[in-house]
Amino acid sequence: MEEELIKNNYTDAQKQEIFDKEFMPNINAMYNFAYRLTLERDDAKDLLQDTYLKAFRFIDSFQKGTNAKAWLFRILKNSFINDYRKKSKEPSKVDYQEVEAYYNSEEVDRQITPDLRVESLGNMIGDEISNALNSLDVDFRTVIILCDLEGFKYEEMAKILDIPIGTVRSRLHRARNLLKEKLSEYAKSMGYKTA
Amino acid sequence: MNANEMKNMKHDCPHQQECLQLLQSILDGEATQEQKDKFMGNHLEECMPCYQNYHLEVAIRDLLRKKCANQAPQDLVDSIKQKVIQNLAR
Repeated sequence: MEEELIKNNYTDAQKQEIFDKEFMPNINAMYNFAYRLTLERDDAKDLLQDTYLKAFRFIDSFQKGTNAKAWLFRILKNSFINDYRKKSKEPSKVDYQEVEAYYNSEEVDRQITPDLRVESLGNMIGDEISNALNSLDVDFRTVIILCDLEGFKYEEMAKILDIPIGTVRSRLHRARNLLKEKLSEYAKSMGYKTA
Repeated sequence: MNANEMKNMKHDCPHQQECLQLLQSILDGEATQEQKDKFMGNHLEECMPCYQNYHLEVAIRDLLRKKCANQAPQDLVDSIKQKVIQNLAR
């Protein structure tokens, strides 16, 4: 992280101010991100607390006036990969590059043009969309959260995730297709007309 | 849009996936003004599949924002604040 090269020497009062005014206002968004990554409330709590304490420990590498939210999200994402994904009991994921290559093929693009209508979304008043989101592979889930829920720009996402902008764009496109596919399955199982 | 205008729309889009990518860039605020004008002004008014896709994309984003946010538990927020104050005191 290039920002880390510049070290500030904040006083305790400045640290407290940055923490209160820049870090704390993002705590709900950060909790949601932690929850959507771990899918467990207890793990999300631990991940959030670890991230905030880490952010405080490294506060001297945060530049005042830069995007605190993106800085925090990046720390959370890295903590998740380094500390939680390894510990996680779920079976190891398929190598992501394989998945990406598969979903990037035009073939798949044609297959997944889900038949979903706005009207059937109107009936999803429960947890359908949340469950659909949670069912996606973590890398697809992540880009949807960052973009559609948190409103990050592609460039910010590329920095948070350490991937090129082109990959952000294509991963988002696949992720949205997969989400629609899931929603369309729900719509069918609920008996709504999809076409 | 009235029923008559809808009837005159194309029902097939040969570039649907490309259009969908462009549409998503527009909604993500990542498209140029020129791309935006061309697509939203011309294409969307005459192409039914893309018109439907546009409304679907918007509806999914709304639903995501409404249904997929979570608040951090207050006791956790308090505990994090407390730990930071303790850190400062050291």
